[in-house]
Amino acid sequence: MTVPVIQLQQVGKQYEMAGETFHALSDVSLDIHANEYVAIIGPSGSGKSTLLNILGCLDTADSGSYLLSGNAVASMAENQLATLRNQQVGFIFQSFNLLPRHSVLQNVMQPLVYRLMSAAERERRALAALQRVGLFEKKHHLPNQLSGGQRQRVAIARALVTEPAILLGDEPTGNLDSKTTADIMQLFDELHRQGHTIILVTHEQEIADHCQRVLRMVDGRLVADQRKQSHAGVLESAEQSMLQHTNNLASATRLLV
Amino acid sequence: MHFLHALIEGSRAAFLSIRAHGLRSFLTTLGIIIGVASVITVVAIMNGLSSNIRGQLDDLGSDMVTIRAYTTPDQELLGFRNKLSDSDFRLLQSKLGQVEQISRMMPAFSLGLSVSYGRSSTQTQLLGADSAYQNVVRIYPQQGRFLTAQDDLKRRRVAFIGHSLIQKLQLPANPVGHYISLSGDWFRIIGVAEKRGSLFGFDQDNYIITPFSTATAINGPDNLQVEISYRPKPGADAAQIERQVRSLLRAKAGLSASEPDHFELVSSEKTKAQFDKVLDSVTWVAAGVVGISLLVGGIGVMNIMLVSVTERTKEIGIVKALGATPQFILLQFLVEAIVLSLFGGLIGLILGYGFAALMSLLMPGMPDALVPLWAVVLAIGFTSVIGIVFGLAPAIKASRLNPIDALRFE
Ligand SMILES: Nc1ncnc2c1ncn2[C@@H]1O[C@H](COP(=O)(O)OP(=O)(O)OP(=O)(O)O)[C@@H](O)[C@H]1O
Ligand SMILES: [Mg+2]
Repeated sequence: MTVPVIQLQQVGKQYEMAGETFHALSDVSLDIHANEYVAIIGPSGSGKSTLLNILGCLDTADSGSYLLSGNAVASMAENQLATLRNQQVGFIFQSFNLLPRHSVLQNVMQPLVYRLMSAAERERRALAALQRVGLFEKKHHLPNQLSGGQRQRVAIARALVTEPAILLGDEPTGNLDSKTTADIMQLFDELHRQGHTIILVTHEQEIADHCQRVLRMVDGRLVADQRKQSHAGVLESAEQSMLQHTNNLASATRLLV
Repeated sequence: MHFLHALIEGSRAAFLSIRAHGLRSFLTTLGIIIGVASVITVVAIMNGLSSNIRGQLDDLGSDMVTIRAYTTPDQELLGFRNKLSDSDFRLLQSKLGQVEQISRMMPAFSLGLSVSYGRSSTQTQLLGADSAYQNVVRIYPQQGRFLTAQDDLKRRRVAFIGHSLIQKLQLPANPVGHYISLSGDWFRIIGVAEKRGSLFGFDQDNYIITPFSTATAINGPDNLQVEISYRPKPGADAAQIERQVRSLLRAKAGLSASEPDHFELVSSEKTKAQFDKVLDSVTWVAAGVVGISLLVGGIGVMNIMLVSVTERTKEIGIVKALGATPQFILLQFLVEAIVLSLFGGLIGLILGYGFAALMSLLMPGMPDALVPLWAVVLAIGFTSVIGIVFGLAPAIKASRLNPIDALRFE
């Protein structure tokens, strides 16, 4: 078996509030492998975003260890963290977080600015990413000239353009209506089929239904980790039970006869 | 990441940001422009004024001394008014040995009078003087001649006029021989003086000089108020001459030792010293104006920078989440601040020069706008430092935050 992309060991995060320590995360241990499609669910305030921010290196854990693609994040200097964010992580926010005065194309090119890469190559890759999310035509628009769904597609293109090891989404459809949500989820499904590792925080069961694995959090703890069988697996077992039934039926008939 | 790459990309990002935040960039630049332009203008005008005035004072020569009546405030309260008379002049003329030239002058119609030629008329000032006056005061004819002893002796109604009167009265280019009317009396123009320009904005070429005896006749014998001017011989002891003047005049007036002088001695040295004092205080005022404009510009820049902290912190959070290093962010902000400061400084400089040049065009006698290097360095340096400090400080802070904290910044 390959090394997991994400390995968390007893990760904790606390906040000091008015002299009291509040445990936003306690003792979270978890492995996520390449090409997994994971949902993190749980009540509001249960620590989902806190966990996802740590996974995306936007925030750091106070205790425990976190290995991202085998690298220990805790011991990293600021510049190494920046490189990690740039190369390993594609983060998609609920509120998009696009640069408001930069065009769609400039937004998507932005992560590549921090790499040694010619401007032409940057543009080529950004256009390819925009093509993937179906927004090639809008490349010269400003974010505020787009619908919410379109903005989120831009954000997804920006996350994709660096070919990251993991795609993280914190309620990526939280600001979108149900039709647009369906479109975006279709996009995630497709990205998953293409081999991406995707982790989504969500409130909605329908979104969790898209995923193969559902992590449930309560009060900063991981309380459930359910793996669904793949569609193929479900089919297989259905087939097998059918066969079983047929066999049973056959033997029963034989007995009767 | 390589430094060169960071520099290129950081500058590119900076220019993009300057363009993207057009209004903010403009307002920042405006603050710098105001600061720099006003400093340059004020300094240029100050410089021009003082060099202009100094030059004119130098023209007067440093050794001329003028003696005029002086009434102390106490005497004035008692209704006294001290006078110097023609006999005082004669006394000094005959007794002062070390004097090269001595002359007397008397203002006539001291409140000013109107002079006319054809249909034009204007206000001017009439002086009575003797023929030596031109050598003491050093006004020389550009056309015609100065007054002679003969004019004085014969009490001729002749006029030696200042240069501006040609234009004011629409006299012919060479007005010598033409007649002008002074309060109904006709005076023949015998000469026109060389131009002197203006001092403190006063036209110094608007006057008429007529023979002393003529002016005496006009004023009447009761209204004589003589001003005596002299130049010491080269190498003579000026202070010694002054002492002699003092004792001669006091003795003639019969003043006791406790009484104050009824006259004063004014030398252009003293005038220069006084002027320097005035100039000093004007310089302080100008420095104040400069300081205030720099402050206004600086506060403007500061405000714009601080107002945009929230926006910029959020922006920094975004680019940090995308993998920007703190160094890259700082480089971008530094380039942005420097570009805006220099651009604003340059425009301010051009505007400042423009204003100063305009002023020197509008104000007669002002020399060309001259701005010393220190003023340029001070103005641009100060505003740039403000721009860079207040542009960079929030960026330094934000670039150290966790991306998530920068994104949450309110
Ligand atoms: N910067 C902070 N300072 C103090 N407390 C914080 C901070 N960030 C998060 N918390 C606390 O940590 C807990 C977990 O927050 P988190 O944002 O992870 O919840 P969540 O599961 O994402 O909730 P939601 O579904 O509402 O987004 C909350 O109780 C929150 O108040
Ligand atoms: Mg959340």
